[in-house]
Amino acid sequence: MIKLTDINKTYPGAVPLHVLKGINLHVKKGELVSIMGASGSGKSTLLNILGILDNYDSGEYLLDGTLIKDLSENRAAEYRNRMIGFVFQSFNLINYKNAVENVALPLFYQGVSRRKRNLLAMEQLEKMGLADRSHHLPGELSGGQKQRVAIARAMITNPSIILADEPTGALDSTTSRDVMELFRQLNRQEGKTIVIVTHDPGVGKQCDRIIRISDGLIIPDNSIITSN
Amino acid sequence: MKIPFFDIENWKEIGSTLARNKTRTFLTAFGIFWGVFMLACLMGGARGAEDLLRRNFEGFATNSAILFPGNTTMPYKGHAKGRRWQADHTDIERLRLLLPELQTVTSQSSQWNISFRNGRHSFSGQVWGVEEAFTEVMLPHIESGRFINEADVKLQRKVAVVGKKVANELFPGESSPVRKTILVNGISYTIIGIAYQTSEIQMNDRIDNVVIIPVSTFQKSFNRGDKVDLIMMVGRRSADFSELESKIRRILYSRHQVDPNDKSAMWFLNISDMFSKVDTLFLAISFLALFIGLSTLVAGIIGIGNIMWVIVKERTQEFGIRRAIGAKPIDVTVQILSEGVTLTAIAGMAGISLACMALGITAMLTTNETSVPRFQMTLWQALLIIGIFILLGTLAGLIPAIKAMRIKPIEALNDK
Ligand SMILES: Nc1ncnc2c1ncn2[C@@H]1O[C@H](COP(=O)(O)OP(=O)(O)OP(=O)(O)O)[C@@H](O)[C@H]1O
Ligand SMILES: [Mg+2]
Repeated sequence: MIKLTDINKTYPGAVPLHVLKGINLHVKKGELVSIMGASGSGKSTLLNILGILDNYDSGEYLLDGTLIKDLSENRAAEYRNRMIGFVFQSFNLINYKNAVENVALPLFYQGVSRRKRNLLAMEQLEKMGLADRSHHLPGELSGGQKQRVAIARAMITNPSIILADEPTGALDSTTSRDVMELFRQLNRQEGKTIVIVTHDPGVGKQCDRIIRISDGLIIPDNSIITSN
Repeated sequence: MKIPFFDIENWKEIGSTLARNKTRTFLTAFGIFWGVFMLACLMGGARGAEDLLRRNFEGFATNSAILFPGNTTMPYKGHAKGRRWQADHTDIERLRLLLPELQTVTSQSSQWNISFRNGRHSFSGQVWGVEEAFTEVMLPHIESGRFINEADVKLQRKVAVVGKKVANELFPGESSPVRKTILVNGISYTIIGIAYQTSEIQMNDRIDNVVIIPVSTFQKSFNRGDKVDLIMMVGRRSADFSELESKIRRILYSRHQVDPNDKSAMWFLNISDMFSKVDTLFLAISFLALFIGLSTLVAGIIGIGNIMWVIVKERTQEFGIRRAIGAKPIDVTVQILSEGVTLTAIAGMAGISLACMALGITAMLTTNETSVPRFQMTLWQALLIIGIFILLGTLAGLIPAIKAMRIKPIEALNDK
């Protein structure tokens, strides 16, 4: 599903910062993986590239067989809309739109009618157990509820992959567990490919596989074993 | 690709965004509303104000002059200075004959403090002696009956046009005293008409307060011979009284043996000159209105641009989110511009409507029986104002909108 070959990324600036130094990564369809690593190791940078939110300098990124390279803004937006669902640490809901409208928004950019969008959004919210909160604004929801709204939004376009950057970072441990349970459910029942960036070893444990990243490089599995 | 303008989904999205952000929507809308309101009031009000001012001169010939013979201030041909001289009908005939530029030459003479009587009702005021041509200089409103005509003058008829106020005093409660008799200085006249004026120009007094009789009758009744108090002239279209003045003076001075250099021996009132000054004033007022209007417009547009800019900054994260979940750069631009245009159109419409109401009320309050001042705007003016606002509003919103389009989703999302 995701295939990265020798991805390099340097942030330009007065002192250019070489963040990703040749990432090779393969995530199969239906996998639930987590990316872990020290702060500043380049996890978010990697996830942004996976989510076509950012460009990379060299290497090759294949998403579901499509080469993602030097896309126009329009193409990138279209791919993000159809193939990728995002979940962020700070939820990133639009604060003046209620839960249904937030969940429905990606479909607006597909030109789906309001009725149909809201119907589909309601369905998603029901799955997340939030039917009774559907007309609340984000400000009226708890952190866990907001994150479930965000997951519903990520799911609404039925994307091939879901990318989550520290989705439990702002949540307490019980809520974190609920949210992780939700991800596992989506993975098991709907066969979604999910990549979660996290600091929380507990979150990592619930995934099929942990990808460790250190100083812009992926630590091979066997070295983990040896270090263990 | 869909054209956003015809896409109902787009309008629904804009509608809900505007509806949810009430304060912001209101503030932006109010700025536009106020700008349009002011501009519309100025554009619609300028003509109304002009009409109101013009009403003061209504019925008065613009290209005209009046001359008042007075006392000489220089000795001439054996005459001492300080001699009083008077114009007469020969002067009128000569002016008519010698100056074809003049369309009308006529006279007005008056006798002050004359008693008017009808039975036990009495009133006092001026009596004027005029010809039919008086109406070409100053058109009075005739409430009933008619004005003095040629035959009245020729036959020295004892007929009178009575001012409305005089009529009301002498014939209280009577709808029209036409064909009744009035005693003027003890002599009875048949009333042929009731007259009044709405303009503010007075020849000695308002027509409402006087009694007007044929000049021939007047001269006989008050022993004036064929002398007249003043001569009134209306020029043809091309006539220029500033040029004619010296000719007119020469014609009169030579006959009455007045020193050609004695300016003070006759007062020449150039009315067309006064009117052209008033015209200049109106022009100045129009320019002022235009200037204030344009300033309002510019201020309004800068306001819109400014608010749009703030809105875009404030909503950077929102646009980042929208971009992350699939909005194309153009979607964001269209969203901002559409919001701006929608706001401008609605607020502009409200501004125009209120301005029209304000103008309408002003017009109602200033309307009298003779004229409705044009406190109004044409549909085209209204459309023009809204059109200009939408166009400039769009241009003003374009810079923020392009800025918003350039927002990269990651930058916006990192911006916490
Ligand atoms: N837009 C940017 N411009 C310049 N440098 C950046 C930018 N974004 C991130 N960096 C730098 O790149 C490095 C990697 O950042 P990144 O956000 O990928 O780390 P991370 O692994 O997600 O860290 P954390 O666990 O704290 O979120 C950091 O040193 C960071 O300062
Ligand atoms: Mg990070």
